[in-house]
Amino acid sequence: MEHRALAMTEAVGAKPKRILVTGGTGLVGRAIQEVVANGEGQTDEEWVFVSSRDADLTSAVETRALFEKHKPTHVIHLAAMVGGLFKNIRCNLDFWRRNIHINDNVLHSAYECGVQKVVSCLSTCIFPDKTTYPIDETMIHNGPPHSSNFGYSYAKRMIDVQNRGYFEQHGCRFTAVIPTNVFGPHDNFNIEDGHVLPGLIHKVYLAKQNGSALTVWGTGKPRRQFIYSLDLARLFVWVLREYEEVEPIILSGKDKIPRGRGKGGNNGLSSSPSPQWEKKMKSPSERLQRQSWRPWTSGESSSSTQPRPMGSSRRQPATPSSGTTSPTSSSRPSDKL
Amino acid sequence: MGAPQGAKPKRILVTGGTGLVGRAIQEVVANGEGQTDEEWVFVSSRDADLTSAVETRALFEKHKPTHVIHLAAMVGGLFKNIRCNLDFWRRNIHINDNVLHSAYECGVQKVVSCLSTCIFPDKTTYPIDETMIHNGPPHSSNFGYSYAKRMIDVQNRGYFEQHGCRFTAVIPTNVFGPHDNFNIEDGHVLPGLIHKVYLAKQNGSALTVWGTGKPRRQFIYSLDLARLFVWVLREYEEVEPIILSVGEEDEVSIREAAEAIVEAMDFRGELVFDTTKADGQFKKTASNAKLRHYLPNFQFTPFRQAVKETCTWFSTNYASARK
Repeated sequence: MEHRALAMTEAVGAKPKRILVTGGTGLVGRAIQEVVANGEGQTDEEWVFVSSRDADLTSAVETRALFEKHKPTHVIHLAAMVGGLFKNIRCNLDFWRRNIHINDNVLHSAYECGVQKVVSCLSTCIFPDKTTYPIDETMIHNGPPHSSNFGYSYAKRMIDVQNRGYFEQHGCRFTAVIPTNVFGPHDNFNIEDGHVLPGLIHKVYLAKQNGSALTVWGTGKPRRQFIYSLDLARLFVWVLREYEEVEPIILSGKDKIPRGRGKGGNNGLSSSPSPQWEKKMKSPSERLQRQSWRPWTSGESSSSTQPRPMGSSRRQPATPSSGTTSPTSSSRPSDKL
Repeated sequence: MGAPQGAKPKRILVTGGTGLVGRAIQEVVANGEGQTDEEWVFVSSRDADLTSAVETRALFEKHKPTHVIHLAAMVGGLFKNIRCNLDFWRRNIHINDNVLHSAYECGVQKVVSCLSTCIFPDKTTYPIDETMIHNGPPHSSNFGYSYAKRMIDVQNRGYFEQHGCRFTAVIPTNVFGPHDNFNIEDGHVLPGLIHKVYLAKQNGSALTVWGTGKPRRQFIYSLDLARLFVWVLREYEEVEPIILSVGEEDEVSIREAAEAIVEAMDFRGELVFDTTKADGQFKKTASNAKLRHYLPNFQFTPFRQAVKETCTWFSTNYASARK
């Protein structure tokens, strides 16, 4: 309790906030719940975590009812239809439509209900497939995304478009963050449909039980920047409180995996603090220090092994064409999208 | 007029049926282009609010179309777009999703939607072609409208990949003709200039053109576009969109367009340029190579003749014209 009392502060003169978190029971939602409960929360903040049990966000009516029930002043919007590579390839239309509906319903309800700030969640997998490295926030719309998940990617990109629309037409402060590969407790550890790290953790668990080998899909050469969900959660809270831009911000792990331009595909975000990142961090750093903000968890302490570059046949975010991992289909029109 | 042998009957629903392009399609279908195996149904906002999923679905269930030409959209000129980018985004996304999804659910065989060359990337090489739509952000003045239109192409591809639907789109350049919106504040450049010349003649005043007059555009006469739309509906089998435009060599500046109108309406007054007003995009030069590959012999109406016909229509129908 003492640690909690020391860590919690109340910004002087701050108006009370009620923060609604959609997708509140997912990987990132649970991480935010944890950091808020264990030192990051402030006494002027009330946090409300909702999930699909509370409302079907593809319904405008249900979404609006949710907002009217909770009357949030702020929103962290994490809810989305997500999935691994194969599910995306099969259902690009559904990923597009459902996510567009969810996002429009949440943003428009937020606007209509006078929400002061919305922080939505994009993903580095939505960046252009053909690109130079490192990629940064200005490059989101500079070309088509990877064809395997174009539906999901475009729906996420359009959050940024809609944020800008609300700002220009109504002065709303709706913004977004762009995390790299997130991992942590409460993830989806399904080997077929989940993402690479939790899938491997599950595989190792089973391999130990069965005394069998660990099979990693792919060559193991593709490179990724991983961000621990608890670190992302702390950054989300900082963005909610302090980040004033409408333009999105990349939240990337500070790890030891170097940038590279290997053939296997490197999404090549600046992993050590990039000039852009440092520029963005400079002004709030003093405020963050006052709040006893801790820096990113190092790679070694957040998982039992150093994150190694690994490959997988499931969808990989923001890479140049990972030819070996993307199934092709002759029945599809060209990959131009 | 004839029916191809063995053709199944078509019922073609045209949304935005009373707009500039919709009325042009009505005219060409009634005057020689229609076929006996086709029934054409033209609907407008009076028939359904397409931003409502429920009303859109009811419209489809009422008419049971086999084919759709989807023209309905929230549209406007430069200054309206700048003011209302969010609305242009949201309303058009809703309209498009409602129409495409109702078409899918009701088993429509083909949908031809309408994009625009103004949605292409702002920073680009020229001429632009159909493969370049998504290669960068659109011009900032109308990003809401542009992204909503681009997403028709994304959604078409989604319906094809997931369900095998043949939903496609055309990309006209600047369209003009009878039945346009001639509102000076909110309309597009050619009809706006026609209206201005009409008033300047009446008032004995100068013609003021907004901007420098230097930006360049390819204009396509609505009746030509209508004939091409009908061809696309019947013959064009790709899901990838197709640009419908005059050639690059027929691009004109806004000044030249103003001069064509001045000549057509026999305006004798002064022509001035208000350079305090925005120019919009400098050029949007589009390649019609794909169209020419399919239809090498298609004849466009000469620009000055089309302008003359439009000016005459406007003067004759001034009282009832949209303005």
